[in-house]
Amino acid sequence: MHSKLIACLKPLLVSGLIGFVGIPAAQAAPNTFNTALPVAKDEFIWREQLVVRERSGSGATNRNVSVRAVGNVLGYGITPKLAVFGAVPYFIDKELDVTTPMGRVERDTDGFGDISLFGRYTLYQNDFTGGTFRVSPVFGFTAPTGDDNDRDGFGELPRSLQTGDGAWDGFGGVVTTYQTLQYQMDAQVLYRENGRHDGFARGDEARFDASLQYRIWPRSLKGVSGTPGFVYALLESNLIHRERDEIGSGTDANSGGTQWLLAPGLQYVTRSWIVEGTVQLPVVEDPNSDAIQDDYIVRVGFRRNF
Amino acid sequence: MKVRIALLLVSLMVSVTSLASEPEYYLGVQGVACPYCAFGVEKQLNKVQGVKSVIVDIGESRVRVTMDESAVLNEQQARQAVEDAGFSLESFSQTEEHRSTDNAQ
Repeated sequence: MHSKLIACLKPLLVSGLIGFVGIPAAQAAPNTFNTALPVAKDEFIWREQLVVRERSGSGATNRNVSVRAVGNVLGYGITPKLAVFGAVPYFIDKELDVTTPMGRVERDTDGFGDISLFGRYTLYQNDFTGGTFRVSPVFGFTAPTGDDNDRDGFGELPRSLQTGDGAWDGFGGVVTTYQTLQYQMDAQVLYRENGRHDGFARGDEARFDASLQYRIWPRSLKGVSGTPGFVYALLESNLIHRERDEIGSGTDANSGGTQWLLAPGLQYVTRSWIVEGTVQLPVVEDPNSDAIQDDYIVRVGFRRNF
Repeated sequence: MKVRIALLLVSLMVSVTSLASEPEYYLGVQGVACPYCAFGVEKQLNKVQGVKSVIVDIGESRVRVTMDESAVLNEQQARQAVEDAGFSLESFSQTEEHRSTDNAQ
């Protein structure tokens, strides 16, 4: 019975954790990825983000995956050009609802996920009055700190539902920032190679993320002394391609694929605090076979400099 | 009327004394374009010995640094602090009032 159930659950998500933990996300900086977070020398940046993610799959199993998680990120500026970051999610609840031969079944888990550590070095910097342009390579790894063998009454949870994958993963890419007093654009290209553990590997991932932040308040800085808080309107884009998961000596046909998400949002930026929120919505979904797809992702949180 | 004039003179003397005792500098800083960036500049300049206050006028890309009485900020200190914050020093000057006070002294 358990094997039948597990077979039904195989075609589960890949992207849940990766999109969230990976390099999920300096200047005002985007909300949907962490690599552009600005950090001065000897300065810390702390970001907390509540993430609500709903996913569903087509087919007879009518799968639904709900994730409630908190993303925790801490960054430190070692030099003006080199910053290091740590990011770890805490899953308040990660739940799967699926139709099986025995009826509708609900399985869930919680706890800390896999921790990601990465560094960013500003290789090119062109400052000008009221703005800057920067190009920075980013490299990091993800350590298997999450639980990869959690169980419930039906037995061991499917690998894709675990809070960790048990493997060491590596990632690298380039992030660029162009910022003026009126607007900011960030973009990153990133590749993640996922390791293998106990016969399972999440599919490797390539992504292109972009973010536009446009100041909508104050509307003009003429005659303004000091540094007032800014309100930015955001529009972010995430193009993500994931390979199929590897299971045993084969691959899971119902995993991976390509998706494009757009995320409108708002940011209130002061000298040492930022409050921000976005809703990521799928524009294009091209999953492999019956791979599960995103319905929406809500991200609300704050950042603090100290 | 005499009282008013006396008060005015006293307040002028206080202002002049204050200006004379707390040197002010203007730094032109390139790269600062949001409030979050301003914090880094303030933090680094506040580490410099003798700095009393730092105000970033973000719209002007200019930083006003007020020093403690008789403290001096030199251009190299200012440049290092701005670069540690991740930005570039474009210009460095002492306010005219203090320059003339210094010259008079």
